[in-house]
Amino acid sequence: MASRLCFALVILFFAATLIVAVHMRGANRRAFYTLRTCTVEQRHLQQELWRKQLQVEALTNPASVSQRLER
Amino acid sequence: MRTGQADNTGPITAENADERRERMAIVVFAGLVVLAFAGLIWRCYHLQCASADHYAQLSLRQQCAYLPLEPQRGAILDCRGRVLAASNQIRTVFVDPMIVEDPKETANALAPILDLPAHEICKMITDRGAYRYAPIATGVDSSAAEAARLVHGVGVQYGWQRHYPMGRLASHVTGYTSSDNRGLGGIEYEFDGELRGEGARHVFFVDVHRRPLSFAVGQRSGDNGMPTNGDSVILTIDTTIQQFVREELLKQYKAFEAEAAMAVVADPRSGAILAMVSLPDFDPQNIGRTDPNYFLNRVLTDQYEPGSIIKPFSAAIALDTGVVNTHETIFCEHGNYRGRGFGRIGEYRQGFGDLTLREILQNSSNIGMAKLGQRMGAERLYEGLTLFGFGKRIGIDLPGEGEGLLRPPSEWTGYSVTRIPFGQEISVTAIQLVRALCMLANGGRLVRPHVIEAIVKPDGSVVDIRPPALRVGYVIKPQVARWVVQDAMTAVVNDGTGKRAQLERWQVFGKTGTAQLARSDGRGYEERAYVASFMGGAPAEDPRIVVLVSVRRPNYALRKGYTGGTIAAPVAAAIIERTLTYLEGPQRPADSETIARVSRP
Repeated sequence: MASRLCFALVILFFAATLIVAVHMRGANRRAFYTLRTCTVEQRHLQQELWRKQLQVEALTNPASVSQRLER
Repeated sequence: MRTGQADNTGPITAENADERRERMAIVVFAGLVVLAFAGLIWRCYHLQCASADHYAQLSLRQQCAYLPLEPQRGAILDCRGRVLAASNQIRTVFVDPMIVEDPKETANALAPILDLPAHEICKMITDRGAYRYAPIATGVDSSAAEAARLVHGVGVQYGWQRHYPMGRLASHVTGYTSSDNRGLGGIEYEFDGELRGEGARHVFFVDVHRRPLSFAVGQRSGDNGMPTNGDSVILTIDTTIQQFVREELLKQYKAFEAEAAMAVVADPRSGAILAMVSLPDFDPQNIGRTDPNYFLNRVLTDQYEPGSIIKPFSAAIALDTGVVNTHETIFCEHGNYRGRGFGRIGEYRQGFGDLTLREILQNSSNIGMAKLGQRMGAERLYEGLTLFGFGKRIGIDLPGEGEGLLRPPSEWTGYSVTRIPFGQEISVTAIQLVRALCMLANGGRLVRPHVIEAIVKPDGSVVDIRPPALRVGYVIKPQVARWVVQDAMTAVVNDGTGKRAQLERWQVFGKTGTAQLARSDGRGYEERAYVASFMGGAPAEDPRIVVLVSVRRPNYALRKGYTGGTIAAPVAAAIIERTLTYLEGPQRPADSETIARVSRP
């Protein structure tokens, strides 16, 4: 009985090790995908900020200020 | 098993035959198996060795995704860092019609996200049914793009769009770009190489859902590097001054229903162009609907006879070469000067008797200038004008500059040496006049007008590309330049034809000009078609700015006037006043006024 239990445990741990190994094998790729996603998101946010800055420029430049004053 | 040898009859033959058949069958079968394996081995060799490269390429193509990265085009800024042109990323939602099974269903899903009618979206998809790309909406915000991406068959593409926050304000200087971000005019064209930057490409291994797993080795050099964004350009233009100039010029342009108008403000000491306006202008954001003639920067392209506005330069050359001094008088024939070889010369208004050089400029006497030309002779006059920069491009950092026309003395007649000093038989551009005026105002030193202050690299380093200030070398003697500006040209404004350019706070110097437009067939001049100009600056004792205003073909029929003194001089005065107030600040009250205010209870 004890030997059967040991055998089962060995098989269990062996299987678990294999599963963890396979999972870790893909960890690098998952991390890369997450990094790329975050990098792209960062660039989009930077562009969003730049777009807001351009909107402010469009409101505060001499031409638009003059137009608003005329109105 | 051997049977008896004595009798090898029927039963023994049949067994042997069976054995032979069996052996045959085994041999044949074995042979077939060998052949099959040989075939497999050959196929393996073919796949693994002979066609290895081909299949590796196919495999890479399937496993790899290529992401082109377009660089961000550099910005164009004025001298105070305000944005004239910049690029920003935009999102385009598109549909792949070949993947979409039911365009109506896709359209219904996209309609609330993009706030577009479903039937329009459906039409866009079906119209592009044979293609893999059907753009639906451009300039979509991030939340709408993320929501649209979840619909089957819909993707989001990122691109760059050029923005011009100031619109028309400096459109001829800034220029404009095409839909694929190539410069087509102005600074956008002239510095397209610097502004464009350099793209890159990333190569990834992807999974079945096309999600990137890792970088792959690229096939081209530069793969997997970062794109190099374009350099930014800083101009000498001050958009506040540009706004003053455009406002004042536009008022007069509309009031006199002119064909065109232009104005330039420059710093005479460095040649930096502070403002450059050409009307009619255009909106660089909407070039598709613009008349192509509006793209002309007339400050650079229009070549015209300057008329009286060139007289200060002719007078300066005459003084500098010693053919006249500031005290002697020249008899101006009472308005009717004729002679062999040069025909008849008259005045614009009344005739004059004896005039000093100062008075010749103050009253804008053609006869006085003609006699100066005769004294100088063709060679000296020509040399002086070329030293001032007429007859050739000045080399400004903008495209489309004209050369003007100043024929060599070998082609001159007696008419030429008398006409050129008062601005006929010579063709100039506005920028040439500005350059010559800068040289007169800065004491006779060489200067090169420019609009670029510096270039800023993506890493933030600044490259100063202003032309170096020339400390040595005079076009004319400093004392001559000083006299022309502080004596003669101030007399024009105080007592002469330029009275409408007077200002209280500063002493303005200047010269008016009313040139006739030549007929297109080259035979004389058009009737009632003029270019009304004023060039000048302030303060006369130490010029801070110079201004040139030209209004082409004001509507004579309005009977409001057509001369430089009437049309251009007031515009120049307004520009000078606003610009100097901006640069120097509002006027402080005099000390005596301050004391009086303080001592009052």
